[in-house]
Amino acid sequence: MYPEKHKEIVTYLMEGKFITIEDLSFETIKKNEDFYITFFEKSFGFELIENQDFYYLVSNETNENTSRDICIFFSILCYELDKEGKNFLEELNYSEFHIDEIIEYFKHSSWSDVIKATNQLRNDESLKRHIGTMVKRNIAVKQSNDRYSFTKAHKLFIDFAKDLIDKKG
Amino acid sequence: MIKSEPKSILQFMASHYDLLRDLFDIQVKNDIITKESLNICLENYDKNIREQLTEYQILVEQNDDFAFNEPYFVLFEFIHQKFKPLLPEEIEHFGQAIRTLFLKIKEGINDDKNILLERIEALSNQIKKFTNAVVNNTKSLLTESKELKANNKKIDYQEKIHKARYLIENYISPLNTILDVNHSQSIYNELLNVSQFTNVKRFDYIDESIRREFEKLYHLLRQVAKDLNLQSIILTNELLPLIERIKTESQYLRGFHHYLTNGNCYKDIEPPRIFVSSRDNIYNKFVYENTKEYFEQFQNEEEIIVIEDSEQTNDWLFDKSKYKESLNQNLPIDDFFKWCESSIKEENEDFSFDNFFMVTSLLFEEDYEVFVSKDSKNISVSNENSELIMPKLTIKKQEDVSRET
Repeated sequence: MYPEKHKEIVTYLMEGKFITIEDLSFETIKKNEDFYITFFEKSFGFELIENQDFYYLVSNETNENTSRDICIFFSILCYELDKEGKNFLEELNYSEFHIDEIIEYFKHSSWSDVIKATNQLRNDESLKRHIGTMVKRNIAVKQSNDRYSFTKAHKLFIDFAKDLIDKKG
Repeated sequence: MIKSEPKSILQFMASHYDLLRDLFDIQVKNDIITKESLNICLENYDKNIREQLTEYQILVEQNDDFAFNEPYFVLFEFIHQKFKPLLPEEIEHFGQAIRTLFLKIKEGINDDKNILLERIEALSNQIKKFTNAVVNNTKSLLTESKELKANNKKIDYQEKIHKARYLIENYISPLNTILDVNHSQSIYNELLNVSQFTNVKRFDYIDESIRREFEKLYHLLRQVAKDLNLQSIILTNELLPLIERIKTESQYLRGFHHYLTNGNCYKDIEPPRIFVSSRDNIYNKFVYENTKEYFEQFQNEEEIIVIEDSEQTNDWLFDKSKYKESLNQNLPIDDFFKWCESSIKEENEDFSFDNFFMVTSLLFEEDYEVFVSKDSKNISVSNENSELIMPKLTIKKQEDVSRET
């Protein structure tokens, strides 16, 4: 017998979405972690990556551009939040952001050269589309009135940046 | 010597508070008030009080410049609760005095009574100064750290980290050591030793006045222990976590900075791997190969030469408007098919049935009303090859029909 919510879990992960601790199916995968690791490996040759806060799939093929855009997005957003004196780690975990607020941060960012070089972030419309991509992957969640919050999946992209320094030594 | 009444001095300070506050801020920032900045300040407030400032010894001359006299500076620091953090070495200076005095008291416990009394009094003073220094330092460090965290001055993160490290290394960690109960050399532990010794001596010393002094010192130490414990709690619960957060955030920020600088994000650094979702394409996934194959079949095809027939053929074209006009002129028509036959024969005697049917298509125009003839006779239309048997149809203009009814 397959675990409960099996179809939902498989569909969700195969769409490139993260299943985070905030999702009900997170507990199901956690309880059946070994099964799912084997299931995805044997059935499709995909690797299920587990983390204390989220699960996601990776394959030999990777969507490098999207991943890079997301990393740049969080790097700049955190940088600007810090400049405002906000604790960006807490803000990303617990706050909601209005789309206009995010746009403002990017408009006034000192990283304008990187923003211009990144198609997905260079203007209001592309930024909105980029956030839409993050919603599709369950990295961001659309709340009411054009407000967005971030799921725990954001940690993959900010911890990645922090680890760069550890590797650098 | 100050000639003026203390009340006049305080009144003077109250009257010119704003100017004095500005001078205080200048000294906090620059450690000195230059002659020029004093003049600018006096001009800004349009006040000629330079002489009183020195007469009341609020400002003292330092070469050509000025500085607040120490008691006034301390007063301003206190009323604004804006203390310049003391370096641990400065605080340690009190600790050293406490240690030395305590040693002298123990060694000379049976010496002259007066020197013992004075040493106890001096020790109390040093302990009070030490406690004040620690309380003020914790307060100012907490304010500075909070300001740093809130980044009110919008400073760049590198400068922020530099400041945070500076505060940690030079002020906060050493202050923690001074207050650390587990650190054998900490001043806090030294004060505990003094307290234990005093607690014994307040009961067993022979001379009553000395016992009273030890009693006072003991109560002071109890209060000091409470105050220092409170400072230690602030340090552990607020200041250190605050600094720790700044440090953690700084690791992230350093990472972001490294990632975004010099286009690193576009060069060597690969982002985390994420899944590429497979999609159902609306076209066949071999569409490219199939299309290519389709066009390739024509690549080596032999050239085909089309030779046109030189004989001209007279293709008949149905001029609908001409026929319709003719029909309208002849309405009503009793036998529509016969009319078609005769009309087409006028133009071409050897008509084909294809030509004939084209003309009969006028039957379906909206302008006409069609009836089957009441005598229910069929009519025949023929050409060289065949014959058509058709019903006899009467055709009228639609408006005529409606008028009749």
